[in-house]
Amino acid sequence: MGDSVASVDSPGRTTDVDFALVGHQESWRAAADVLGVLRGPERTPLPDDEIRDILPWIPPRAVCHVDVGSIAGAKARGLYIDSFISPDRLEADYIRENIARVRAAAACAIRAGAKIVSLGGFSSILIEGNFDQLPERHETVFTTGNTLTVGFIVQGIEKMCALEGRDLRRSTLLIVGATGDVGSGCARCLAPLVRRVLLSARNVDRLRRLAAELEADGVEVEVATPLQQFSAQADIVICAASLASPSLLLGRIAPDAIVCDAGYPKNLSPNAEIPGARVFFGGLGQITGGLRFTPDFHGVLNRHPFPDVVQGCLLEGMALALERRFEPFSQGRGFITQERVDEIEAIAARHGIRLAPLYNADGPLWPAQATIGSALGSRESASISSTDFTG
Amino acid sequence: MELAVDLKRSLSNECTSLSLSALVWQDVLAQAMTGELVAAMNFTALSEICDHPAEVADALEHAQNEKGHAAAFAAEGRKIGVEVPSNVEAKHWKRIREAFQRRITERDFIGCLIVQEIMLESFAVASYARVGKVAAGSLGKTFASIAAEEEEHIGHAMAILRAERALDAQRFDDKLYRLHLEVMTILAEMLARDCSRGHCEVCHDSCVKPSLSEICLTTAELRGASLQQYLKTLDMLGLPGEVTLVWVTQLPV
Ligand SMILES: NC(=O)C1=CN([C@@H]2O[C@H](COP(=O)(O)OP(=O)(O)OC[C@H]3O[C@@H](n4cnc5c(N)ncnc54)[C@H](OP(=O)(O)O)[C@@H]3O)[C@@H](O)[C@H]2O)C=CC1
Ligand SMILES: [Fe+2]
Ligand SMILES: [Fe+2]
Repeated sequence: MGDSVASVDSPGRTTDVDFALVGHQESWRAAADVLGVLRGPERTPLPDDEIRDILPWIPPRAVCHVDVGSIAGAKARGLYIDSFISPDRLEADYIRENIARVRAAAACAIRAGAKIVSLGGFSSILIEGNFDQLPERHETVFTTGNTLTVGFIVQGIEKMCALEGRDLRRSTLLIVGATGDVGSGCARCLAPLVRRVLLSARNVDRLRRLAAELEADGVEVEVATPLQQFSAQADIVICAASLASPSLLLGRIAPDAIVCDAGYPKNLSPNAEIPGARVFFGGLGQITGGLRFTPDFHGVLNRHPFPDVVQGCLLEGMALALERRFEPFSQGRGFITQERVDEIEAIAARHGIRLAPLYNADGPLWPAQATIGSALGSRESASISSTDFTG
Repeated sequence: MELAVDLKRSLSNECTSLSLSALVWQDVLAQAMTGELVAAMNFTALSEICDHPAEVADALEHAQNEKGHAAAFAAEGRKIGVEVPSNVEAKHWKRIREAFQRRITERDFIGCLIVQEIMLESFAVASYARVGKVAAGSLGKTFASIAAEEEEHIGHAMAILRAERALDAQRFDDKLYRLHLEVMTILAEMLARDCSRGHCEVCHDSCVKPSLSEICLTTAELRGASLQQYLKTLDMLGLPGEVTLVWVTQLPV
């Protein structure tokens, strides 16, 4: 191929893929790493200030191909499309620009012939309340992926409780961002399993409506907007607020509380002083049937201490593609129920997509988990990745 | 879609009084005028390799338009009391002319259109539009209206280039990539934050880039807008977005 446009005639043509994943980078570090891979190791890396100058101008577009395998033998081809929303532009001030970016990213997915599109992180705004914001759709369907996200958050809580020897039934659960799609889905799934539920968000009317729905099922519920009122009472906390940056301070919190941070970007401020709390990042799943990025973005697009870990929202589209069920599984806000969670979890499990090993900013939560994870991931799963998809 | 708009900026169109920043404007106008004269020379050269009389007439008309743009920039300079110089022999512009001239020697009509209409015009449309937003009065209007006219040129060339790509996309993309390496590298160096290769030979004194803030502009924004326009133009031609993204991220900074 010499010095020709190697990448033009390589597998890089964006035509006829099964699925597309629309995302954006959570931090400048992550954005720098993505541009670093594109620029190639032989060139001097772009300085950080250049990256901040360049990124906001990049129009949304495909970044790499994604091949996913199922333990049942199925395979699906996809694309990762970055909307290139800058990590510091997630606030309301940029809403119009960001919606335009997500729309353009969705249009890329449609042009590429994707049959199903998962809208990750901020991107789901396009179909949570604003269906009319989607470009002309043709054969492409969209999902927020929030149902599988809820499934993995709930599984994570259950696993933590089991490992820590806690009785879920005697716990008080606090959900921050409770009225959101993810938060309300978690509330519906976990309310019947716990003793008491505390719901928090800014809009009190929406909190009351959700509380009434849960109370109708006989659950003990309280709502509050100021978080501090609640945090000391909770022994399990789910943070699922849509925050532009990790800025949540939980305040005084029960010393041995289990805290699930499911935000993207993360909810919890690095300055949140929650001594003794067991924090983990929730909503993440792991692919065990093989995952390959072309070009190789392993560990760059999925920055986790375990291999082949991906956010639940993106995994939902991949699982549905492996199942050949091209339907808008999660749309709108507030429709996630236990039955829907069971359904998507069963689909994911059939294809070897399961709860990711738990970890937080300091690394894996249990050393044993890390060993199991890396044994599976870096050797077995890596070899699956390379043998399954080459040739 | 105008991406990456600075909300605060768009609230105030005028940043400084023109007379206070006349020397900065002189350099900005000199760069624009030089670009227009280079474009005029390119179109004149192009007319000499066209086969059809209609194409010849079209190229000559374009050349005339570009000369008109150069004259309009010179006139704007006089209005704010500066003489606008130009230098088509300045080092970056000279390399660009040479790259274009090589396509003329090869009688490569399509290559010429790619260099002038896709690469140079992306740069002109995007940067004039940005300048048009911050310049006051008739200066701003002139930049904005020339940006709009340049965009029309692109529309005309796009139809020809799309038809060419439809014949053999692979060959077209390979050619475009070679021209990208040759020409966009020079444009990227021109727009780099620092002039690491010495004086540009267009600005009247030291490089204007560090002074752009006096007229509410930055090199980063001119470069960002130009590359964005270039990527969008390549998208419209049908090139795969993930490929052109790699091309652009590999340009020198
Ligand atoms: N881990 C994963 O795989 C996934 C993570 N996510 C992340 O989960 C989070 C929630 O997503 P989603 O449910 O779709 O979002 P929604 O917009 O549906 O809900 C957001 C919730 O957060 C609340 N909220 C917003 N701002 C604040 C604030 N400053 N303080 C307290 N509450 C606030 C909102 O209520 P109100 O406005 O009344 O305050 C609402 O309850 C996001 O960070 C998203 O990126 C989403 C999908 C997958
Ligand atoms: Fe012109
Ligand atoms: Fe022109």
